[in-house]
Amino acid sequence: MKKIRLTYEQQKKINGIIFLLPFLIGFLLFFLIPIITTIVFSLNIVGVADEGGRSLTWNGFKNYYDLFFVELASDNQTQIYRMFYEEFRNIIINTPLIVIFSLFAAILLNRKFKGQGIVRVIFFLPIVLGLNIVVNLMTMSQGSSYIDARTSGVTVFSSDMLQNVFLNAGLGQGMVTFLASSVSRIFTIMAQSGVQILIYLAGLQSINPSLYEVADIEGANQYETFWKITLPLIAPLMVFVAIYTVVDMFLASSLTNEIYTFTFIKNKIGIGAALSVCYLVFVLLIVGVIWLLAQWKVMKR
Amino acid sequence: MEGDETMMNEFNENIHRLRKEKESLAYRNIRLYNVRRKISKTLTNIFFMGLVIGLSFVILYPFLKLFPLVFNRLNEIGRPNAVWIPQYPSVKSFQIAYYLLTSIDKLIILKSLLYALVIALIQTFVSAMAGYSLARVNFKGKGIIFAIVILTFIVPPQATLISQYLRFKDFDIFGIFKAITGDKLDLINKPITLYLLAIFGFGVKQSLFIFIFRQFFVSIPHELEEAAVIDGCGFYRTYFRVMLPNAIPAILTVLVFAFVWNYGDTYYTYYFHPKGPYLSIVLNRTFQENQFDFVKSLAWYRFDVMTFTTFSFDAVKQAALLIFLAPLLVLYFIIQKRFVENFEAAGIVG
Repeated sequence: MKKIRLTYEQQKKINGIIFLLPFLIGFLLFFLIPIITTIVFSLNIVGVADEGGRSLTWNGFKNYYDLFFVELASDNQTQIYRMFYEEFRNIIINTPLIVIFSLFAAILLNRKFKGQGIVRVIFFLPIVLGLNIVVNLMTMSQGSSYIDARTSGVTVFSSDMLQNVFLNAGLGQGMVTFLASSVSRIFTIMAQSGVQILIYLAGLQSINPSLYEVADIEGANQYETFWKITLPLIAPLMVFVAIYTVVDMFLASSLTNEIYTFTFIKNKIGIGAALSVCYLVFVLLIVGVIWLLAQWKVMKR
Repeated sequence: MEGDETMMNEFNENIHRLRKEKESLAYRNIRLYNVRRKISKTLTNIFFMGLVIGLSFVILYPFLKLFPLVFNRLNEIGRPNAVWIPQYPSVKSFQIAYYLLTSIDKLIILKSLLYALVIALIQTFVSAMAGYSLARVNFKGKGIIFAIVILTFIVPPQATLISQYLRFKDFDIFGIFKAITGDKLDLINKPITLYLLAIFGFGVKQSLFIFIFRQFFVSIPHELEEAAVIDGCGFYRTYFRVMLPNAIPAILTVLVFAFVWNYGDTYYTYYFHPKGPYLSIVLNRTFQENQFDFVKSLAWYRFDVMTFTTFSFDAVKQAALLIFLAPLLVLYFIIQKRFVENFEAAGIVG
């Protein structure tokens, strides 16, 4: 047999595809086929066939209709669209807060000061403490929320007082409620921003220090430096961080439990699949909007 | 002549005096400027340190709050006179928590740590390969595959839960297993399911890891690879001998993330291997609200705790949480310095 000699480039191509093979097989088996079957399921009533397999009966978009107007969530009182609405509201409020807050924290951490090491250790604790299971377990059970209220009243801040201060300062009621709710969300926000702070910090470190030097020589103050140098250079990362945050929040959302309940406890696979599809479209829409906003911003510049 | 000299002297003195005055004026101005700068600097520093300390406190607060609860005597919790320092310290809540966590499997902590480590290694290995290929090899459709990676990152795994579950319920690849054993394989509740997911690139947040590796490998200079090729390295040798050793920052970053996320994972383990020895799901299962009576009777029966309130339940819960977190925190404090430096070097930014 004639030995085939490949150039290095050809070898590289073949081996590169071999390197990607596990992911591609996984994509086919655990992503593409499942998504297609989910879509098919969502349009059918799924039952057990006589010979032991699954039987599909065409149901059109009835599953989707049932999901939103007939079925209830697992607590038997919330309607599914309410849950979507809650999720949406959560994302709309929390994502900007996390994106801005983690940038702020990263800028703080990027300065040189005494005790930097310890502060960094503390700021990155959320990577460990932000695991869903930790957050879930740290919230007290209902009976003892009293202890919670008492200790937080003693130490952190009473949001009533803050609200009064802002109201007296002439801010609108809506603005004040928003601020107060963001303040009371601060633990949630902190718990979710570990990775984001890391991403920003890496970005800040990669900014060329000579830019800041020039700005200093030209007499720019820190405020100007931030708006003219730091922010434009970090802006692409903000999009990445926003998308990461949204995805991360979806992973923790309560809708996933509903998918499980519908499918495996109530045994309505079709409706569970319809919920999955809605969920998928919902995520893609939100991420798409963020991405488009970013593009639009770039285009304008 | 003498008159001239005295005039000159006077003139010199005058100039000298004037210069001195001017200098002292300038000097005073400089000093004033310095003082002002110092004050503003101290002020910003105080403001800054206040911010840092405040934020650190906010981060640590939920965590600090656990300690008085956990170390209190179970029947004393909730008394209003002790908020931060327990009057009668006790570790009973830890004893109960430890008993509850290890009641099924004595080695559960070790087992779940080992599981997380093995999965993290597999994930890192597979993602590094995929990331390298995406960054360094030019072939048709590379852009599409990269888009796919982003897509799988965006789409939450829950969206494909149902059909993935059913797929594992009767697992088969193109009818091969059916031909051999006559029946399809039921892979639910078997650990291999989780390993399969990791091997094929769909473990916990694995597309993010591929993305991190891709970004890192893109930034490695081409000269390195060319030199390796000129010296006679093939594709694999270049990868294992030149590229991987240079990618240690990225490897460490991904390894740590994968370890932490797999150790704390309740999604994949809960759905695909619910009966497995994973601390996270045992923790989740044991401390549901409806388990209160069970824990209460256990506390009474085994640990002689007569009054067991919801506060005590919380105390046991938080103690269990601390037991769960302890290995992670230890690991974190050992590697934190290298980790932060590494992440900066890992080039997620590009």
